Amino acid sequence: MFAGLRKWWRSLSGQGEEPPRPPGDARLSAPEKHMIDLDMEPDDPFMAHLLEAQGVVEIGGLNLKSAALEKLRAEGVKVVVPLISQGELIGTLNLGSRRSEQEYSSDDHRLLASLATQAAPALRVAQLARQQQAEARERERIEQELRVARVIQETLLPKELPVLAGWKLQTHWRPAREVSGDFYDFISFPDGKLGLVIADVTDKGVPAAMVMATTRSILRTAAEQHQAPGEVLSRANSLLCPSMPLNMFVTVTYALLDPANGSLRYANAGHPAMLLRTAGEVVELRARGMPLGLFEEMEYEEKHAALAPGDFLLMYSDGLIEAHGPDGSMFGTERLKQKLGEPVQNERLVQSLLDDLSGFTGDGWEQEDDVTLVTLEHEDDGQDQAGEILGEFSLPSRPGNEREAMRLVEGMIAGLGFGLERVEKIKTAVAEATMNAMEHGNQYREGLPAHIRVRARPHELVIEIVDFGGGKEIPEAEHPDLEAKLAGLQSPRGWGLFLIRSMVDDLRTYSDSVHHTIELVFKR
Amino acid sequence: MPVPKVVIKVRKARDGVHIIDIMGEINAAAEAPLTDAWNEATAEGAKALLLNFSGLEYMNSSGIGLLVTMLIRARRQNQQLLAFGLSDHYRQIFELTRLNEAITLYKSEADALQSVG
Repeated sequence: MFAGLRKWWRSLSGQGEEPPRPPGDARLSAPEKHMIDLDMEPDDPFMAHLLEAQGVVEIGGLNLKSAALEKLRAEGVKVVVPLISQGELIGTLNLGSRRSEQEYSSDDHRLLASLATQAAPALRVAQLARQQQAEARERERIEQELRVARVIQETLLPKELPVLAGWKLQTHWRPAREVSGDFYDFISFPDGKLGLVIADVTDKGVPAAMVMATTRSILRTAAEQHQAPGEVLSRANSLLCPSMPLNMFVTVTYALLDPANGSLRYANAGHPAMLLRTAGEVVELRARGMPLGLFEEMEYEEKHAALAPGDFLLMYSDGLIEAHGPDGSMFGTERLKQKLGEPVQNERLVQSLLDDLSGFTGDGWEQEDDVTLVTLEHEDDGQDQAGEILGEFSLPSRPGNEREAMRLVEGMIAGLGFGLERVEKIKTAVAEATMNAMEHGNQYREGLPAHIRVRARPHELVIEIVDFGGGKEIPEAEHPDLEAKLAGLQSPRGWGLFLIRSMVDDLRTYSDSVHHTIELVFKR
Repeated sequence: MPVPKVVIKVRKARDGVHIIDIMGEINAAAEAPLTDAWNEATAEGAKALLLNFSGLEYMNSSGIGLLVTMLIRARRQNQQLLAFGLSDHYRQIFELTRLNEAITLYKSEADALQSVG
């Protein structure tokens, strides 16, 4: 409010804002109009007086112990007109003596009072506008800081994934709006081993990003000096401790993979335990250790696991397990383990997890924390089973997008030696299945994409089309009969599934709680 | 509804015989243009309608549904429906759906015109 007062007087004085006056124009000569730099304390009795006055105040006869009043008198002010908006004093009009040296008349009082009632709301609006501008600038500053932090974070993440024969690495990083300190890293060693890092810095914003940067390089340095993951974390902790800001720390899992035999040595500094999915079970890979940066001279337990072909390792950040559902419950480790235990193909697992997370949090979820996943899959030797993925893509559920699916699939299968006629059949089946996915599975909601994966096995082409129509009964389609349709006994529509069946050699469908998948099979 | 990606023109071949030229896509979005074309030909007294598919780029199950609807309307008006210019692929789809039993298929416009009595 006082800032408002001061601004008002400043604007009254019109410093630097007025056009030059013609010479001889003495209407507003300098001594009559100047800024009074005045701060009024909230407990100044003059303040209460102005609020109660409800009109023009002649200050000459006032008997108040007020610093503000004294200052106004000293400046030659005779009359003060309070500007009050919604019960709040937002400024004053201060007038000196009349030119004629006569007292202010009751007409003058009325005029000034009427001016004040009109000026006060206008001034209030101007003040609010200024306040909003200031707030907008502050928001912009915060946004800018977030952008900086985000850029730092993105810069630190590996641009490319290491390629290891027989192993498949995947990462998923979905940042929250506020930058948190998740990161992951891969360190390749000359002997073929691979170091895997996943970490989470407490705190958010630029400070977290800076600690991330430091931790990342310290971990790299430590990993190059020591082989054993426990020693790496111990060394990194010693290096980090002296420079760590108060109340900040870093949780890290560091694992060292020998791709030649599937051996995985790992240590953990307070990070959520990795999950290993084997043929029969899902196990937590726990190892004891405090987060980095809290206490010097820490030891880190080192453990060992063996990853057999087909095994799947998941490293993740707490943003996943601590995501909240609409009822306030957390996603939790148990749900994650259970999900991991479902009979979903490895390559589908991450998407399935994320979809499950979306289903859990609901549509309006403002993501609280980064969700970071690193997965390591020891590929199964039975390559024939999975076949070669020729390509995959997602399309928004929008009428007409099946044409795009046809075009993309046609490109992917170009080298498989299908004749022109077969290609047309494949395209029609893809178009119809994509339409079904977009229309029936996803209700043409653009946010729900249809996902299409094209896979070549030695003796067949398999095209999977996945939608979000899982978890519900799919009504048995009526066999379309032209005569019945012409006789009005069936709808003229309903040819889609019939067409698909006519085009493919085999058709398989399956559903989980979220997805419905149709597999179109074409013999080669 | 998406924008139709089809241009449909009605040509009068002779009294009572109209050719409907279809250029583009026959899908759900083609409903209005297809209905307009049928109305136009019917208003001009068409007794035989020849669907020219030589400019057809794409037809899906929704489009087949529209053809069935047109067939129902044509039968009510005692109109004959014929088609020509279909690619091998769509000719096969006509056979699978048995639409070819209700809409006789011809190789060319001339063949189709000749068959109309």
